[in-house]
Amino acid sequence: MEVQRALERLHMTIFSQSVSPCGKFLAAGNNYGQIAIFSLSAALSSEAKEESKKPLVTFVAHDGPVYSLVSTDRHLLSAGDGEVKAWLWGEIIKKGCKEVWSRHPPYRSSLEVPEINALLLNPKENSLLLAGGDCQLHTMDLETGSFTLRGHTDYIHCLALRERSPEVLSGGEDGTVRLWDLRTGEEVQTIEVYRHEECARPQNGKWIGCLATDSDWMVCGGGPALTLWHLRSATPTTVFPLRAPQKHVTFYQDLVLTAAGNSCRVDVFTNLGYRAFSLSF
Amino acid sequence: MSTESNKKRKPKVIRSDGAPPEGKRNRSEIDLEMKYYSEEAEVDIRDPNKDYDLYRFTCHELQRLMAEIQELKSRGSRDSASEIEERRIQSCVHFMTLKKLNRLAHIRLKKGRDQTHEAKQKVDAYHLQLQNLLYEVMHLQKEITKCLEFKSKHEEIELVSMEEFYREAPPEISKCEITMGDPHQQTLARLDWELEQRKRLAEKYKECLASKEKILKEIEVKKEYLSSLQPRLSSIMQASLPVQEYLFMPFDQAHKQYETARHLPPPLYVLFVQASAYGQACDKKLSVAIEGNVEEAKALYKPPEDSQDDESDSDAEEEQTTKRRRPTLGVQLDDKRKEMLKRHPLSVMLDLRCKDDSMLHLTFYYLMNLNIMTVKARVSTATEIVTPVSAGYVDLLSPDMILSCLYPGDHGKKTPNPANQYQFDKVGILTLSDYVLELGHPYLWVQKLGGLHFPKEQPQHTVTADNSLSASHMETTMKLLRTRLQARLALTKQFASLEHGIVPVSSECQRLFPAKIVSRLVKWVAIAYEDYMELPYTRDIVEAGLAEDTHLYYLALIERGTAKLQAAVVLNPGYSSIPPIFRLCLNWKGEKTSSNDDNIRAMESEVSVCYRELYGPRPGYQLLTNQLQRLCVVLDVYLETESHDTSVEGPKEFPQEKMCLRLVRGPSRMKPFKYNHPQGFFSHR
Repeated sequence: MEVQRALERLHMTIFSQSVSPCGKFLAAGNNYGQIAIFSLSAALSSEAKEESKKPLVTFVAHDGPVYSLVSTDRHLLSAGDGEVKAWLWGEIIKKGCKEVWSRHPPYRSSLEVPEINALLLNPKENSLLLAGGDCQLHTMDLETGSFTLRGHTDYIHCLALRERSPEVLSGGEDGTVRLWDLRTGEEVQTIEVYRHEECARPQNGKWIGCLATDSDWMVCGGGPALTLWHLRSATPTTVFPLRAPQKHVTFYQDLVLTAAGNSCRVDVFTNLGYRAFSLSF
Repeated sequence: MSTESNKKRKPKVIRSDGAPPEGKRNRSEIDLEMKYYSEEAEVDIRDPNKDYDLYRFTCHELQRLMAEIQELKSRGSRDSASEIEERRIQSCVHFMTLKKLNRLAHIRLKKGRDQTHEAKQKVDAYHLQLQNLLYEVMHLQKEITKCLEFKSKHEEIELVSMEEFYREAPPEISKCEITMGDPHQQTLARLDWELEQRKRLAEKYKECLASKEKILKEIEVKKEYLSSLQPRLSSIMQASLPVQEYLFMPFDQAHKQYETARHLPPPLYVLFVQASAYGQACDKKLSVAIEGNVEEAKALYKPPEDSQDDESDSDAEEEQTTKRRRPTLGVQLDDKRKEMLKRHPLSVMLDLRCKDDSMLHLTFYYLMNLNIMTVKARVSTATEIVTPVSAGYVDLLSPDMILSCLYPGDHGKKTPNPANQYQFDKVGILTLSDYVLELGHPYLWVQKLGGLHFPKEQPQHTVTADNSLSASHMETTMKLLRTRLQARLALTKQFASLEHGIVPVSSECQRLFPAKIVSRLVKWVAIAYEDYMELPYTRDIVEAGLAEDTHLYYLALIERGTAKLQAAVVLNPGYSSIPPIFRLCLNWKGEKTSSNDDNIRAMESEVSVCYRELYGPRPGYQLLTNQLQRLCVVLDVYLETESHDTSVEGPKEFPQEKMCLRLVRGPSRMKPFKYNHPQGFFSHR
């Protein structure tokens, strides 16, 4: 029914996106558990019409919201309520596509299925790191196998991979950023962001919503202000002057790009902390 | 030659008396009188050539003599006188010869002429005879051809063929022996036979005529007998009326209805027939009746194409009267408008009865000049409805509102017939919506029930009523009308309760909500469409096209402690199949709406998008109240699960009383709004 559809679209949130390995398609996951595949080449071409901006195909992937999407060179991995599914990029635009495999990381409690908030691909070891509602980090070999890494006290929001040393960073609701050694599976370091006065914002809470790392440097934000940290010394160096809790951050060359999620802007900062410019929708 | 002429010279015969008598006399007297000299006879004897030579000789001699005389005279000697004299005498003689010759020539000529003439006469006589004969021949030929071509009348008579003739004719007529050989006799015989037959047939014909007359007379008699029966039958029917009523079989009434139905205009007739049929077949609680003035309808009865003539006639009358009375231009235009919007005197009334004895009375009218149908509605209930009393309350059961948007988008403010626009322009009517209160609403489904289909964008000359169109829409429309009435009645009751701050939740729906709900509904008012559009947090609803001027708008206020939640509600006329949509604004530690707080958005989603769980028992009219109740519940959850701000001193305003598995979940950090029954805890979707 039209009204139903309009209502759904009004209340839709897109949580995740991923570009296909060939670069022509974009997959997006929303809060109804649907994944839509868009044709980037058609939408960005000079002859793009309204229809080119609609998805090629939409299908229901999970029961719950699709919080995270990541692409390998052949598969699209989607994470929903407590399960990871893989879809073949080559088949995905055909109707009635079925997942290639679906895995459940082992969970402690069964009353509520924890969500998977972050998926991280470790290309060197061909493994997938998952983190989410059960406050644990899981590593899944893309063929088989998994082992867990514990440590957070509240659920994990985001993951980042440190390239030079095989370490992964996780940021969570409990306000900490933890570094884990992938070989040993042990926690190496914990940074309690909210305890640092420069960046703490108690009125927003202490949760860490976004994380990005450059091996030497790290940017994290969320409840506390967006801050650039030096990892070795684990000290904050620059606090970026943004009021809203940030949802996404990335390093790009020497710049830091960040998006709040409740405004239409992507802010671009230099390392030194001043805002260079903003990209606006 | 000259000596002969000297001898035979006698007194000249006078030629002029005509030669033949003289010639005849001379011939007859030739034997008697040899003395008489006949020159005619001489002509026959003498040779013309010789005469000619003689003439020439004589001329020559004369010339010679003259020359000699001349010579002698010129010499002038005395003895030449006798020579001259001699010569003179000779010349005289020659003169005489010449004269004779002349006479002979003349006679010859005359003779020749006479002969020619005679011959010619003969030839002419022959010629005349020839002509006569030819003429006669031609005449005879003509006669012959005429005779040959003569067609006797008898050939025009189609005679029976030979075989048939010999077979059927009695022997005294056919006379085979004679007729076989002789075609003439045969034809005569055949003609005789023909005559016989014709006489016989003529006899038969007379007899048949006579019998026909007789039968006609019999028919007349019987007809009279039957017509005398009619009044008797109607008197019997009259007498049977009480019996009909006693047995609940109102045949007479139905018959009367059908009688009046004959005078209905085509669309109303289609509606009447289809509705009666539907009522008899499927829906015992539907009753159909015809109202109005039948006499006027009869007077008016003309095919719809003449409605233009009607208008022009009335216009002509208008002009006449205006000359006499001279009213203002406005009055003239007004009358023209009235004429255009005139209704047919008859109307069809439909009564729909529902289970709780509430009734929807629909009266359908037909606007003759515009070729559209309109409807007026009225609701009557068995028990009195408690109407809400707040200011600005829109009566959902009012005749204007109750049928609005029965089908989505069918607001009934515009005429469905595109041709009407041209007619309106002529008389200065802007739009039909100015007149709907008086004339009724021209909804599209009303046109369909009357079988009128107006194709978009193409004004057709005449659109005629179609039975199948009406039949295909009848059932759905009746069902929708019932649902609409029930829904509106339910809503009215709910509003009356909501005004007092009570959210009525029926026992079947209690399981949707936890036992303890602290937030309270404080206010429930209707607001105008413009006011709704002004609210800052409803913009996305308006932009998505979900809020139109045909919808109803309300503002609800829910409070708990210092927190005030404002909810703007869009109620679609198609409630409850189309759910109401809520937009929230929370005033607690700042103003929070869906644009700056994801959890508010989640609350809106919980109430507006997940509405199917809130329908309650069929047919789901409790949706609105359940939604309001759920809104109170999610507000409770929101307030109680708000994380404590450690920088501010003091305890939390709202201690957590709800049982939740997790307070926050997902990258958007959602609160648990979903209620699980019967365990009674809250979880995330």
